[in-house]
Order: sequence, then C-alpha cells, then structure tokens
Amino acid sequence: MTAYLIRRLVQMLIVVFGVSIFMFFLFNIAPGGPLTGLQQQQRRISPEELARIRAQYELDLYWPIRYTRWLVGWPQGPLVIDGQEWFANVPVGCYMEATPEQGGGCFDYVYLSEMPKIHPPIKSSRGILFGDFGQSTVVQAGRPVWDLLTSRLWATVELQVISLVLSLAIAVPLGIYSAVHQYSKFDYVFTTTAFIGSSMPTFFFALLFILGFTILGGRLQELWPWWPTLPPGLREAVRPYDVAAWLSRVEPGSALDRFLHLLMPAGVLTIVSVASWSRFLRSSMLEVLRQDYVRTARAKGLIERVVINKHALRNALIPFITIIVLQIPLFFAGAIVTETVFAWPGMGRLYFDALSRSDYNVALAFIYVTTILTVAATLLGDILYSVVDPRIRYS
Amino acid sequence: MSVSAESLTLRKLPREGKEESQFQIVLRRFLRHRLAVASVAVIVVLFVAALLAPLVAPFPRDAVDIAVATRPGPPGTMSSQGEMHPLGVDHLGRDLFTRLLYGARVSLSIAFIVVVISELFGVVLGAVAGFMGGWFDTVISRLVEFLLSIPTLPILLITASILIKTEAQLPLPAVATDFVSWMLAAPIQEANKVVVLMAILILLGWTGAARLMRGMALTLRNQDFVEALRAVGASNTRIIFRHIIPNGLAPILVNASLGLAGIVIAEATLSFLGVGVQEPTPSWGNMLSTAQSYMFQHPWLPLIPGIPLCLVTIAFNFIGDGLRDALDPRLKR
Repeated sequence: MTAYLIRRLVQMLIVVFGVSIFMFFLFNIAPGGPLTGLQQQQRRISPEELARIRAQYELDLYWPIRYTRWLVGWPQGPLVIDGQEWFANVPVGCYMEATPEQGGGCFDYVYLSEMPKIHPPIKSSRGILFGDFGQSTVVQAGRPVWDLLTSRLWATVELQVISLVLSLAIAVPLGIYSAVHQYSKFDYVFTTTAFIGSSMPTFFFALLFILGFTILGGRLQELWPWWPTLPPGLREAVRPYDVAAWLSRVEPGSALDRFLHLLMPAGVLTIVSVASWSRFLRSSMLEVLRQDYVRTARAKGLIERVVINKHALRNALIPFITIIVLQIPLFFAGAIVTETVFAWPGMGRLYFDALSRSDYNVALAFIYVTTILTVAATLLGDILYSVVDPRIRYS
Repeated sequence: MSVSAESLTLRKLPREGKEESQFQIVLRRFLRHRLAVASVAVIVVLFVAALLAPLVAPFPRDAVDIAVATRPGPPGTMSSQGEMHPLGVDHLGRDLFTRLLYGARVSLSIAFIVVVISELFGVVLGAVAGFMGGWFDTVISRLVEFLLSIPTLPILLITASILIKTEAQLPLPAVATDFVSWMLAAPIQEANKVVVLMAILILLGWTGAARLMRGMALTLRNQDFVEALRAVGASNTRIIFRHIIPNGLAPILVNASLGLAGIVIAEATLSFLGVGVQEPTPSWGNMLSTAQSYMFQHPWLPLIPGIPLCLVTIAFNFIGDGLRDALDPRLKR
C-alpha cells in the first residue's frame, strides 16, 4: 500500500507540472495574449510604449523563464556568489522585437543583469509553490489573485453544497425505488426521463429555466397577478422587486432575495446530477440485488425492507464513493457553464471572465488549484474505495 | 483463417432453417429498440438536411435582410422580396432556417470528423499498446491516465480561448483546412478556426477508445487463435489489424456513438461560451449564445437552435444504448 501511495503521489506531481507547463507553452503560442485588446484599441502605439507594457505582463521574458518565475519566483536576477555576479550576460528575453524592416529577430535583449531593474522583486511573484499567486492584471487589476479567488469562493461553495445535498436526497431514493421495482411502469418512465435528462446539454437546461420561470412566468403574471416569477441571474438583486401578487416586495440582500436567486442555478445543477446519479445507483443496485448474499438474506426470512436497506443498499453505495469524492474539486472550481449562464458570482464565472479578458494570472491559479484538487480527489476516492471494500487491494 | 466451421464441428449442431449471420442477429436486436430506430431516422433526416444545406436553404448563409420590420423577427416574417423566413430572422436580419441548416452541417461535421479520427487513433494506439506491451504500452497508458486525470472542461476552455480567439490564423496543413472548408461549405479562414477546435477535441477525446481497445487486446492476445496465427507465421501487424481490432470493435462502436453525443455537446458548450465556432460561421451553440442576449424580448429564439441540438444529443445517446443492447453477447435472444 505504501509503495502504491508513493507511486500515485509521484504521478500526481507529474500531472500537476505537466498541466502547468502545457499552459505556459500555450500562452507562448498565442500571439498577443493580454495585449490583443490593447492593440485593437490603440493602433498607433509607439514601439517603446508597447515594450514597456509587454514588460508589465512579463511578456518580454522567454516562456521557460516566465514559468520558473511563476512557479518558484526564480530567477530574480543574476546569481551572486561572494559579491560576484554570475550568468549576468545570459539573455532571458526580448525587450523589443525588431521590425521586419530591421530584419526581424530581437532588437533589444533582456539580460539577466537587467532583470532586477525591469522586473523588480517587489512587483514579481514569490512563486506559486510558496503560495504567491501574483496579481490580477485585468479583472481587478492589482488585486492579489488569491484574494480575488477567496472572495468568490463562498458563492460557489454555497451553490455546490446545496445542490449536492439536494441531488443526493433525490437521486438515492429514486435509484433504489426504480431498481427494486425493475420493469415496472415507474421504472420505465424513470429510466427514459433520466436518460433524456442526462443527455441534454446543461446550458440549454439553464436557458429553458430562464425561459420558463422568468420570461414565460413574467408574461403569465401580466394575466394572473398571483403567478410567481424568478430573478434570472446574479446572487442578489440590485433594487427591490416583486415576485408575485401575494408576496410583499423583496428587498435586495434579504434572506428571501438570496433564496430566490439560488433556486434556478441550484435547480439546474440538481437536475443534471440527479439524472446521471440515479441511473448509476439503479444499475449498481440491480447488480447487488443479483448477489448470493441478498438471496441468503431473503432465504433467512428477513423482511424485504431490511434486505434492501441493510444488505443491498450499503453495498450498492460503494461505487458511489468515487462520484461523491470527484465532487470535491467542484467546491473550488464550481460549475463553469451554469454559473456563467446565471451570472452567479462564483469561481467558475471568475475563471470564464479571466479567460475571455486574458487575465492569465487568475486563469493559471484557477487551473493549478483545480488540477491539484482533481488528482487529489481521484487518489482519495481510490483509497476510500479500498478501505470500504475489502475485496479491492492495491499493490 | 478460412477453415470452414463445418469441418471442425464434432457434434452436428441442430439447425433451424437458414442460419443468421452475426450482422443479421445484431440488426434484428437493434431493430427491437424502438427509440434507437427512431433516433436513426432523426439523425438521417438531419444529416441529409445538413448535406443539402446549400441547395435547400432559402437564402444565402450570411445574407442580411435589412428590410424586415423587426430584428430578430418571429417565424413567418416576410422579406422585402416577398419571400418568407420560415423560422424568422436573427438580430442582424439573417434567415434563421438557413443558418440552422448550415449550423447542422457545422455541428454534425465536427462531431463526425472528431469522433472518427479520435476513435481510429485510440483504437490503433490501444491495440498496439495492449498487444505489444513493453515501453510503448507504458507510455500510452501513462498518457491516457494523464489525460483522464486532468480537469477537462477548464483545460478545454483555456486551450480553446487561447488558440481560437486570436486574430491570427494558425499555420495548418492545407489538406485539413480545405477538406473542412468543403465539409462546412464555409470559407478557408473560417475552416481554420474549426480545424483548431477539432484538433483540441481530438487530443482530449481519444483516451476512451484507447483504454477500451487496450483492454480487449490484453485479453485477446492470450487466446488460442492468436497462438495459432503465430504458428502459421502471421506477422504482428497482420494479427493486430486483421484479428485483434475487428474482434474488439463492438464496444468501440458503442463508445463512438456515445462519443458523438459528447462531442456535439462539447462543441455546443464551447461555442455557446464564445470560444468554439466563431461568427459568422453558424453553429447551434453560437446561435444559442446570441439567442440568450435577445431572449427576454423574443422568447422563441433559444428554442430554434436548442430543440435540434437536444434532439441530436438524445438521438446519438439512444443509438449508443441500442447498439450496446444489440452487441452485448451476454444477452442471447
């Protein structure tokens, strides 16, 4: 087991490094990057200014150098041993690129000795490995990335916890009932509905919700004032609003306001997970119900309820561990699509904003943490699995 | 191996009339799954419509009708020349039915090309890795594990947004862009972005087939018929391509069918979020994304691309389900 754990941990490290190197490599391919918008706004920007702005985003450095500076905050400048500078003349980037008329290539290299001047240590990150995720460049320019991430974390956790609890509360009984009553009318309707539900794209569900509860609801309310409508997005309202004739005006920031805003995104996430989890639980339950020990339990004369709840269900839930554990990264990463459609101010939407506005420090920090959480959750799932199910042994 | 089954049977099998071929058995079982058969009909209709898009579409793809009274306009809006827009016009005055047809062409082409290439890729790599073992197997297995353990959606999003949202055209082989441009009935510049999108989806999409095929190859390579093949002097290439792969193809077919649904959803999601297929190339995903901005005044808009999108994903899933039932050797009926 120890050897297995060590091997898995090493694999985890490789995955995390692999992903982060790949991301930096991608940024390098992408021409412009954060500057694309800038170049569009001001076509006639002088080369000196462009170089200065490029340096601001560290785009003047070569990408492997940028990577190590992002990862461990190194190199900050030439190596100093006994007061003597080493490698001072190593070019680490290109401050100003030559125009095609000048023959292309680099016009002004950045040497390691110039690094402290162009990229002073105060302005650069100490390295993501030491917990410094740098600063946001676009979304909230100048704000430390970690600060920005944590400010959005609670909205995501709230949404995820609520939908997780709801989905489990609905999916488990549904799956069990359907499996126990296999081939009944209920089972047939349930499996077909769940199948269709799990094959539809999430964002279309979200659009349908807005369409049904906000837009159609609003039109019906004009006919019947008692018909309720739901707010289509955000986490709280900006100004007071009405939901239905029988409810007093909702104040922004009140508990009711928050609850109403939560309903649709949580509903979408719940439906999507219920559709797939209950199907999963149904098949896992059917598998268990065919086992010999269930027949033995029945032969002993146990009443059906005990056979199902005590003998079958517990074993049917074992594969469920993997599914639940894989939800852990989502408490950080959130549901990118759902949060974006409902303008929910959580992590998923922050990530999407950061991407569409080329705030790469934020996007990289998000990917980095999400990757670590995902691989850790996978490992945790495998370990828990072997703890709960003694038939599984790793070597 | 062309030794007839007849000469090898020791005991005469009881025969009832004509014997069914393997294909007939599978077909008979598939036809029993009514929803899957209906799904095949849906896909065929959409496929033909998409294929004939340039002929069937009432208007050119990007033709802007500035004379219509409202933009977006409801289904049945009349154009300035007295022609009808059957599904209305979008916010720029482009005919939605036309764009829906071309969008079907884009979405279905992407799905089919991505799935065919990634399954081929996965099948060959998986079969070779499973059959040969050794360092090649280690490399492939680690690579698959790596790709399966990364958070897919965030990485898909970041890759697509970096590579597709740039103004620059990435240098790609002309064969690929020409072919895709022909498939989509779209200009080369637009095809360039679509090829990048397809490449990203393929890179993340081949792992399922590779894993399945590797597993099949691992069990098949220890069976007697492989031993027999070796004894008669068949080369490894021949064993892998003529015997291992055809024998392990059943689960791959199911995987491919479900993969089609997955790729349609992935493409629609990326396009919906603005990092997939880019305007003016129509795709159901980016049509939904513009529909979202206008849906408060024009609630029918998201339904126009949304309903076919759902139909297609549900249909591909049902076909996969039907194939699984039909190909499962444990269900002998």
